[in-house]
Amino acid sequence: MTVRSTHLALAAAVAAASLMSAGAGAQTANADKEKCFGIAMAGKNDCAATGNNSCAGQTKADYDAKAWKYVAKGTCASMEVTLKDGMKRKGTLMPM
Amino acid sequence: MREPPEANDLRAWQSVFAASLLRAGAIMPDRQAVHRNNTRASLSSALAARFPVVRRLVGPDFFRAMALCFIERQPPRSPVLAEYGAGFAHFLDGFAPAREVAYLADVARLEWARHLAFHAEEAAALSIERLTAVAPDRLEQVRLGLHPAASVVASAWPVVSIWTTNAHDQEVRPLGDGAGSECALVTRPELHVLVSALPAGSDRLVAALAEGNGLAEAVARAATVEGFDTATALSVLFRSGAVASLSVGSFHSMELS
Amino acid sequence: MTADRRPQRGLGAGAGLKPEHYRDILEGRPGVDWFEVHAENYMGAGNGAGGPPHVFLERIRARYPLAVHGVGLSIGSADGLAPGHLARLAAVVARYQPLLVSEHLAWSTHAGVFLNDLLPLPYTDATLALVVRHVDQVQTALGRSILIENPSTYFRFETEQMTETAFLRELARRSGCGLLLDVNNVFVSAVNHGFDPLDYLADFPLESVGEIHLAGHAAIEMAGGEALLIDTHDRPVADPVWELFQALVARIGPRPTLIEWDAEIPTWPQLADEVERAARLLQEAREWTYRSSVLSHAVGEEGTRCAATGR
Repeated sequence: MTVRSTHLALAAAVAAASLMSAGAGAQTANADKEKCFGIAMAGKNDCAATGNNSCAGQTKADYDAKAWKYVAKGTCASMEVTLKDGMKRKGTLMPM
Repeated sequence: MREPPEANDLRAWQSVFAASLLRAGAIMPDRQAVHRNNTRASLSSALAARFPVVRRLVGPDFFRAMALCFIERQPPRSPVLAEYGAGFAHFLDGFAPAREVAYLADVARLEWARHLAFHAEEAAALSIERLTAVAPDRLEQVRLGLHPAASVVASAWPVVSIWTTNAHDQEVRPLGDGAGSECALVTRPELHVLVSALPAGSDRLVAALAEGNGLAEAVARAATVEGFDTATALSVLFRSGAVASLSVGSFHSMELS
Repeated sequence: MTADRRPQRGLGAGAGLKPEHYRDILEGRPGVDWFEVHAENYMGAGNGAGGPPHVFLERIRARYPLAVHGVGLSIGSADGLAPGHLARLAAVVARYQPLLVSEHLAWSTHAGVFLNDLLPLPYTDATLALVVRHVDQVQTALGRSILIENPSTYFRFETEQMTETAFLRELARRSGCGLLLDVNNVFVSAVNHGFDPLDYLADFPLESVGEIHLAGHAAIEMAGGEALLIDTHDRPVADPVWELFQALVARIGPRPTLIEWDAEIPTWPQLADEVERAARLLQEAREWTYRSSVLSHAVGEEGTRCAATGR
């Protein structure tokens, strides 16, 4: 690309970007949808002064590949993710 | 600060006790085990709150077991709990039981980026009019300064789509054919953290801008990636509030709100 | 009605500030006297210390008095205090200018690893010397005195050389710090160790109490069928804890009193009800101490008159 054509390409791209952005106040709408993860992003020092009453005797998990007995039961199993190479990945987890 | 020798007994006990709090199999009397449960449960809850989409992807039981492995290997090094979890994505890269969910670590990277954006310093975001006001022949030398909350997570997986459906939808949407790699832009122009999709290669554009390169150079670096589109990338960057300053040559301006 | 109940002096009843309630507080302007935050939640993450936590806290701080409660300084660490963390605490205190600053009689960090729990200390001369030195260090760094809170404990040490109340009395005397009396912690420890909480309060250096905490606790059953109370902050204050609080303030008069509710966060009105209940008991205590002081004043005047006329 010549210097001149770089000028033109960049100017055209900026003009196009400006058009794409026209009337796009859409980002705040996106934010409103964040019902679950609003402004109270958690994981703070609120547990520090407190016990967790659901904790007693429930924290025995250890990572030993042979002993790993947890099967993922989340959304990964139902969400088929296809890569561009056509390889399908379904996130099913088998116990090891 | 060094403590006098009388404190040695206390230090020795604290050392033993601290180790037993983190170790899963440690034998402790019940009354002392309350503290181990507090430590492990509160830290795994903190990770669950920080990585809600990772948790939804694998389910609560798997997540907690996985979190406890992480806690044992990389316990917090700061009393500020908001700083805990920086290494979680990297840990997931090598976590064999989750190997099948190959995109899990990248989703964790995106959630960590959202978390940092939430706590970033305030700055006013520039609108694209600031860029269109620049004379066309000077555009090449424009330098864009990123907003403190802005960051990019490039993934070989459709990380934005995975995150979006798991964060917003009651039931996840199937990610159909053609859902390929995605480049996520995380921003927080005001109070809310936003996640947007950038064209492929935009991570190079943003990295080049962050290094202080001019717009022409930054675009040239990204343009080698198939699918990169300058107009879309610039539109998304400005619209999402990723740009906080713009300068041309010696002229430098900051938008004041 | 919460609106009529303003304290005559100082702070009355307050609530632990939770992000879930930011909007209720800013939009509803409830008649709560003050709020308390955990210092560590306003220290940012990574390089940033901005974002919604600070935006909202600035706005609330503009309308209400604030207290800062540290939960991560690990004052009982045999390792010494982390200078970096102390500096961050000082920055939060400088930024928000709280009326009260408090921390715990506990440790939570060892060899640089933060264990996210308030761990107990053996009450020995060596521990006392260590804690006095650390409180001194904190007070010097902050340029003000702080309050130290009595812990909830689940087990005791065989090596102890003094009671918790004696330890706190000496700590206050030697370091010049005040004390934060957590009445729920007194009750939890009393049940767990089988002592009478009223005896504990009778032994407590009440003259040093600058703040009171109230919170909910849970009971768990241990392997042998033995019940253990856990300081969970996840429910309303228990009735026996309210009774202890009432007895306490009847004796020492009103003190700034905080409802802590840190997990299973309730709606704002639920939390406000708890604050209101504390406020009513503080008001009773205030009236009671006022009547007693009027009475003793009247008796005093009478005595003076008698003395004057009887000459």
